[in-house]
Amino acid sequence: MRVLTVLAILFAAPAFAEVGKIEINPPAQGSVTRAEGLQAFDRIYEVASHPRCSNCHVGASNRPMWSGPSYGKTRPHGMLVNAGESRIGAEHILCSTCHVNVEATERGNNVPHAAPRVAADWQLPPVEFEWFGKTSVEVCNQMRDPERNGDRTYLDIASHLDHDVILHWAWEPGGGREPAPYSLQEHVNDVLAWGVAGMPCESD
Amino acid sequence: MKLSVNGKSHDVDVENDMPLLWVLRDELGITGVKYGCGIAQCGACTVHIDGQAVRSCQIAAGEVEDAEITTIEGLGQPEALHAVQSAWIEHQVAQCGYCQSGQIMQAASFLQLNDEPTDEDIDFAMSANLCRCGTYPRIREAVKTAAKTLRGA
Repeated sequence: MRVLTVLAILFAAPAFAEVGKIEINPPAQGSVTRAEGLQAFDRIYEVASHPRCSNCHVGASNRPMWSGPSYGKTRPHGMLVNAGESRIGAEHILCSTCHVNVEATERGNNVPHAAPRVAADWQLPPVEFEWFGKTSVEVCNQMRDPERNGDRTYLDIASHLDHDVILHWAWEPGGGREPAPYSLQEHVNDVLAWGVAGMPCESD
Repeated sequence: MKLSVNGKSHDVDVENDMPLLWVLRDELGITGVKYGCGIAQCGACTVHIDGQAVRSCQIAAGEVEDAEITTIEGLGQPEALHAVQSAWIEHQVAQCGYCQSGQIMQAASFLQLNDEPTDEDIDFAMSANLCRCGTYPRIREAVKTAAKTLRGA
């Protein structure tokens, strides 16, 4: 197996690119109530559970999903795609075989049924970021758990949303695909409000 | 722009966003690579970019100016076939043959990642390359034979 070599090469390349026009302006500390924080998380969950996001936020099956308005019914990604433990397909077929890294995100993405492309290496999020089929409480508890959120504060999460171009794509997917709800800026604002409220979950 | 294909440099006068597949076939006359669907659903247009299998219908020519592009014509030569090509002949994989250059390029790339594949690994790796003739069982056997050759077993 030469997977580790391939991984080293792939991750040596910049995974993220500066594309942001997003402002990260958290509300003043103490200005967001718990109730308002929970309302913000309800909207965050609408985004997290939307097919545009949850289709790739899958668990240990390592199989991305096809679901949402343009797919008819929920099913695993066609072609028996399995991204493997590498989450980039290095064990079998790299995601970037079809989801090629291109600079111009608008090019090609407007073609229905074609593989979406961004200026980054296509990949699944880490397995502990599993959202597909998870409840609001489950996603909430994962998102605030440093052990399962990449050791991120709410400010780090907002910054991550700004800098990961795959996440930007979710709001401009093209090709007749339904975008994630709200706007990326509104989603970032909700993350910041939820964070300032103390990252509350309904289960608290 | 300059493109390096099969170890040879080519000057081509094309728009940056012309798909690599079009450049290879229509501008350079390299026709081993095939057009199937144009949307990365079939794998017939698979070539290697710096050794990695990619769908050439999805890549703009301008994106690969600094890369080494390899097509089926450059994978091996009649007198020195690549292990995957030899295995394809040994198992008589091809029927109509249209998808086979893509299949071979995908298999060669896959075996660089994993030269001890299980049947399941092979199915995961090769299922994005469609074959309307249904040669899948022979593709699987040929990939196993090629893997054995590449391991030197």
